[in-house]
Amino acid sequence: MEVFANEYPDEAWVVRAALGSAFVALAIGGLMGLIQTLHRTGFYDSLISNADYYTVLTLHGVAMVLLFTIFFLVGFFQWAITDSLGRKSEDIRITKLWYGMMVLGSAMSAVTILGGFVDSGSLSGVEADVLYTFYAPLEAHPLYYMGLAVFIIGTWIAGFDWFRSWWAWKKENPDERMPLRTFMVLTTMLMWYLASLGVAISVVFFLIPWSLGIFDSVNSLLTRTLFWFFGHPVVYFWLMPVYMMWYVIMPKLAGGRLFSDPLARIVFVLFLVLSVPTGIHHQYVDPGIAEGFKFLAMTNTMFLLLPSLLTAFTVVASIEHGARQRGGEGYFGWLTALPWGKPAFTGMTLAGLMFAAAGFSGMINAGMSINYLVHNTLWVVGHFHMTVGTAVALSIMAATYWFLPKITGREIFSRRLGLAQVLLWFIGMVLMGNAMHRAGLAGVPRRTADPTYDQVIYDGAYGAIGELRFQIALGGVLLSLSLVLFFAHLVLSSFDIGERAAATPDSIPAPLSGPEQAPKVLDNIRLWTSIAVVLILITYILPLASIVTDGGGWLGDSYGVIVAEYVLPAVSSTIDIFVGVVA
Amino acid sequence: MEIHRYEKLWFGLSLLLIVGFIGTITYGAVGAGVQMVSDDGGTVEPSFSTINENEKFAQQEDNQAVHVEGNEYEVAVIAQRFSFQPGTGSPIQVPEDSRVTFYVTSPDVIHGFSVVGTNANTMVIPGQIAEITVEFDELDSDEPKEYGVVCHEFCGAGHEEMAGQIQVVPEDQWEGDA
Amino acid sequence: MSSETETTEDGIVREIGHDEFDPVGTLALILIYFVIIGGLWAFMYFVEFLGNGPTVV
Repeated sequence: MEVFANEYPDEAWVVRAALGSAFVALAIGGLMGLIQTLHRTGFYDSLISNADYYTVLTLHGVAMVLLFTIFFLVGFFQWAITDSLGRKSEDIRITKLWYGMMVLGSAMSAVTILGGFVDSGSLSGVEADVLYTFYAPLEAHPLYYMGLAVFIIGTWIAGFDWFRSWWAWKKENPDERMPLRTFMVLTTMLMWYLASLGVAISVVFFLIPWSLGIFDSVNSLLTRTLFWFFGHPVVYFWLMPVYMMWYVIMPKLAGGRLFSDPLARIVFVLFLVLSVPTGIHHQYVDPGIAEGFKFLAMTNTMFLLLPSLLTAFTVVASIEHGARQRGGEGYFGWLTALPWGKPAFTGMTLAGLMFAAAGFSGMINAGMSINYLVHNTLWVVGHFHMTVGTAVALSIMAATYWFLPKITGREIFSRRLGLAQVLLWFIGMVLMGNAMHRAGLAGVPRRTADPTYDQVIYDGAYGAIGELRFQIALGGVLLSLSLVLFFAHLVLSSFDIGERAAATPDSIPAPLSGPEQAPKVLDNIRLWTSIAVVLILITYILPLASIVTDGGGWLGDSYGVIVAEYVLPAVSSTIDIFVGVVA
Repeated sequence: MEIHRYEKLWFGLSLLLIVGFIGTITYGAVGAGVQMVSDDGGTVEPSFSTINENEKFAQQEDNQAVHVEGNEYEVAVIAQRFSFQPGTGSPIQVPEDSRVTFYVTSPDVIHGFSVVGTNANTMVIPGQIAEITVEFDELDSDEPKEYGVVCHEFCGAGHEEMAGQIQVVPEDQWEGDA
Repeated sequence: MSSETETTEDGIVREIGHDEFDPVGTLALILIYFVIIGGLWAFMYFVEFLGNGPTVV
């Protein structure tokens, strides 16, 4: 058996390129994060003006949650497909095409964001200080939206590329079960197609024509709702590759085997079915959406806890299996038999631990009325820095220590350095995440360059605001240091001077309860996609219709009619066609 | 399919947790009477002239809550880059022991209207009128009580300046129509 | 790292099959998590939220 990099050199090139892009985005986003954390807490606010803070914030958001996460995902998924099906890309030119499109789209959007720092010259007027949510009528340069569209179309082609591999494999292996990693990739991509339709419609039909001056206005609530149609499921697009790592890599690192393959499949099916019809929970305190629709979105969201709660059990049980095979005993004693010396294992475990805590603040966010307490406060920022910022980002960095040798053929530089890095990230985020949650409960708002106001006194029930600001700044500095260690490690690893030279190939062990135990219906992704579509229609058609008909007046009657008579039917028939084509 | 009995147990407990969460929120709506912001406030074309013609906004002459009947009052607030009118220039005044309905809308971009340290918190979206009703208790002393109000959604360079105040005034100092 | 950890990379001293494995440790951990989550939820809803008046009614 060969190392992946030698067996599939072309695919490994794309994987490395995608990871490279992801880490460039991580470096840029991390630098912006450091500037923000010091500016907003008042510890060093003379580097940028308050106006430039929002440019920094836009860049931080876009670089971290769209570019870093998704570039890593496409690289990791390319590996998962190629390695689990054991076949080369059907046409490597297509593979390179989608990667190229994603880079092009990123560059287009990045230029417009960076234009926000320039006040004169040829770039003046080119800006996109709209944050990563780009709520209209805040307006960005058209190129910002176009870049986003190109980037998303790139991901669509990537999904198509992976489906092609699966179709070709199935033809040659008609009686075999779909490999688990392939199953995870394909269900995730189906969810992504459904989810990204919302933002694609918003950008292509509304925001691009409007920013080009073809329309005078857009329905602000409509584009916002379409954004969140995409904006919540996108978090599962960040999370699914991490779940794949937790299911596939962690048991192996722990010296055990995946506890249950069928249960892992059920979890991914639940994500496919339930991820999209939840976006309205970001709009619990929006006017213009009736309470009943919000309650429905909450019910879906709460049931979406199920796959994550099941994952917690299955993954921990798989690790426990490893610990017991390594000689671990007792109710808790087995925890000491885990391979804590491996940065990949320790990093992913700490990430999972933080996800358990962040899962709780997510449950609070999901509770409809309790949103009055936390909506748009720093609580929410604390929540997603512990989820995407740690469960996802720390898992990605930790897994990289395991993954890098496979795609480069060289071992990592030093385990100890890796351990120090993941620990530092965890400690930094404990400080920052905890302080942000507490500041949010005191009412400190998010998304502002300076949260101090003459008119406002925060009642810091759990610690003075000054202490919380210090913790946020200190946490931010530790996170930045951790990033520096991570990048230093990547550079050192590329010279093949580590503790062990050249990677040794290894394989993923078989699950304890294998795919032969899983009912065949689980692999019927056409069925699950249809159910997902039905749920989406139930959750979204009525609120969207009421937003369009109520808002039609101020858009100009003719425009409202165009939307109601042409756009909505086009959307629903597109979805129908999509269901027909899948799998 | 074989599922371990511990896993079945955890599946059951997970469902219990989920149902418990939904049950708590349902209790909050039915028992504690917490209402969500909804489409009750209606819509208005997002420009100053049309907003000012709207019934609720036309009756808002200064910074004082408008008396409806009994202890019920109304306040109409325009959230705009980068102030609340009323609220920023001088505090919105409401009497103690009152039930006040806020109507909030925006002529420009999306804003937030959050009364700091309370659960009064809504998005302000151009074209939509957010309607929230809150109850202010009797004051503990003869002094007015102030609440800060902040815009919590990014609305452009200057967003960090957008704030205001609500002042709860003791009964005997209330100058508005009672 | 010492060469000892190299030779026993996975450190496996015994093979445990599907039927011999009861994840009691996992069950113990997850029950603790369940209790914490339930308690925190009640605290957040009834103390932090409902105690944070005025609330929208």
